[in-house]
Amino acid sequence: MRERVTLNSPRRTLTVGRSVKADVTVDDEHVAPLHASIEITSDGRILATDLGTTNGIIVSGKRYHAARDMELAGRELQVGRTRLRVRTEHQELSPEKADLFDVAARFHDPAWLAAACLLALGAQLAYSSWLVAPQDLTATMVSLLGSMALVLALWVFVWALLSRVMRGEWSWLRHIAISAGALAIYLCVDSLFDISMYVFSLPTPDRNIAWLGAMALGCAVCLHLIHASSLGTRSSIQIAAIVALAVLAIGYWRFQRPLEREVNYIASNIRIYPAYLRLSAAQSAETYYQSLTGLRDAADKKVQAAIAEDPDPDDIRPVEGD
Amino acid sequence: MKMRRGRILPFIVAAIVIFLDTAYAQEPPLPFQSVASATSESAREILGRVRPSVIMISGFYGTNSAPAFHGTGFSVTADGAFLTNYHVVAELVTLPGKYRLEYRTNEGKTGKLQVVVVDVRHDLAVVRADDYAAPPLKIASSNPEKGERAFSVGFPLDVGLTITEGISNGLVQDSFEARLHYSGAINAGMSGGPAFDASGNVIGINVSGYFLQQLVSFLVPVDRAKSLIARASGPLPDAEMLKADVLAQVRAHSNDLLGALDGPIKTQVVGGFILPAQLAPFVDCSASGDTSSNRPVDRVRIECNGKAGIQLRPGFVVGDIHYIHTILTDSKLGSWRFANRLSAFSAASGRFGLRQHLGPFACETRAIKLKGFDANAIVCARGYRKLTGIYDFTVRVVSLSYPDRGFVSHLDLSGLEFDSGLAFVQRFLESMESQP
Repeated sequence: MRERVTLNSPRRTLTVGRSVKADVTVDDEHVAPLHASIEITSDGRILATDLGTTNGIIVSGKRYHAARDMELAGRELQVGRTRLRVRTEHQELSPEKADLFDVAARFHDPAWLAAACLLALGAQLAYSSWLVAPQDLTATMVSLLGSMALVLALWVFVWALLSRVMRGEWSWLRHIAISAGALAIYLCVDSLFDISMYVFSLPTPDRNIAWLGAMALGCAVCLHLIHASSLGTRSSIQIAAIVALAVLAIGYWRFQRPLEREVNYIASNIRIYPAYLRLSAAQSAETYYQSLTGLRDAADKKVQAAIAEDPDPDDIRPVEGD
Repeated sequence: MKMRRGRILPFIVAAIVIFLDTAYAQEPPLPFQSVASATSESAREILGRVRPSVIMISGFYGTNSAPAFHGTGFSVTADGAFLTNYHVVAELVTLPGKYRLEYRTNEGKTGKLQVVVVDVRHDLAVVRADDYAAPPLKIASSNPEKGERAFSVGFPLDVGLTITEGISNGLVQDSFEARLHYSGAINAGMSGGPAFDASGNVIGINVSGYFLQQLVSFLVPVDRAKSLIARASGPLPDAEMLKADVLAQVRAHSNDLLGALDGPIKTQVVGGFILPAQLAPFVDCSASGDTSSNRPVDRVRIECNGKAGIQLRPGFVVGDIHYIHTILTDSKLGSWRFANRLSAFSAASGRFGLRQHLGPFACETRAIKLKGFDANAIVCARGYRKLTGIYDFTVRVVSLSYPDRGFVSHLDLSGLEFDSGLAFVQRFLESMESQP
């Protein structure tokens, strides 16, 4: 809230309060109808006077009751819960700050955003290609890039088309930024997760990738919806959450569940990093051997569960002639 | 024309004779005619004598009149007991009620058969016919010498009773269960048939041949069947008794296998690590490496196979050991990419098994301290649906300590009792060491 009050030479005082009779009206229930008066002296000093209120006035963080002619060194006065800044023509202001690189403004420009996201994605691809190098670096790069670009283009096209239909504009750059950004962040978080699992010698659970992937998909769908349709933020989030959960559920039923029932499957997707990254010490072998005795019960339980679920799985006919 | 042909023919004959003569120049002249007649005479004699005692054994699914599988059997008692392979009757033992077993003599007589006793470990079984008996075949008193002539009889494919001739090559060296090596043809359907020495005594039971190899076939030495033949006249067991017997034999095999692997683990030095090597004479190891000189990492792969397994059903083998070491040494990659390369070999999977026999794996993964280095270890166990108290183990170890050398080891153990199996896993891990 800004209010300009002109004070002439005979009149050097103005009042602050909740009432419309005050020169500056403050809509704050902790402020009295006429709360304080502010006087500007001829030499530019600012003096505040409490007009007999319950809460008093707060100057430089301290509360004063029944104060008279308090000088406002910091040109700030708090009445009730409202902070007022007093600015006079006597005040010398510092020159404006130089705008060296307006990141926030750039960030709202979809072209810059899309470029940054694509760059991040490219960096990820370059890293994963470098990891498996020198096994034909260019071939890996091209095949990875090609397939990813194709999928990304298709995805972006669908959303751009939706934008065009619903809002009359394609918004190409925005959709590119959203999808590339979500993918880049997902890949990055996934590798960070991998590395931290290794750093702290934790067993890598199998389903992280699925959870992370579903979350990234949900975020992307949500942002796409906000920018492509007339739906509000709340319904976009709801739809995105439903999509992500549905994908997760389908993925679990289609892939993870059969894997868990597959008798030759072992969850062991360990990724190894250099030894200097390991922070927590390895366990003694003896402790590990002791923990292995529990495998008998665990294996028995799994057999029992498998039998309970399907007592007589499909049989295979023997080969003719023995 | 006639004159000319008459003149040319002697030249052709002479040329052939000269050719044969040079081909066999180093050999004494071969009396082709007389040898051929001598062998066929002997084979004919044997076949004529054993013909009524050899039967074709067929398994039928449900009430079908067409067979599902077949093998061969031969008479071992005068009251209708026939010896055959366990794998010929395996389906009747493991899936009681699904199949029925019938015999068919060479003369075409058919009838029902019942399983009396099985020996899974030696792949032998005795079946009995109620309405057919034949003179028992004479059993040889000792294993034949290497190089002795031998014969094998059976019903291969669907071509009827057949005799093949070959050479006995004595006991197979370093095999877990005793096997006679017979250099002669044994084809599908001859399983369970008798093999004879030159004097017509049974020396073994046809059991297997190598697919796509030439005349490398195997017999179960007949002395392994003696205790089974002694039980051939016993009472008929029910399905549960047979299964319990099979389970006991799997346990006994488990104990024998681990007994054979007992003692200090033999190791070898490779890539700066000390790793389990050929653990016993019956374990078959092979090693290979990258030969290209411009590879970023040097890779050595050592694979060992116990070949000790016993087949409970087609595709259902238990009681064996198998392990692979992959050792990597870096020359150009740097620690970050070297670690990634090592990860590429670290995926674990169990020895292939079927859902109808097994449960899923239960696993423990941990970074542990081994001798002189840290490793990521995963040990998994899975139980069997019907073989109670028998487990498979899978172990995967990846070294973590070095930026420029490392290894991944996989160990598969199948069909073992839990405590002894786990004890072996522990010994296997403890034997691994890093050279400073």
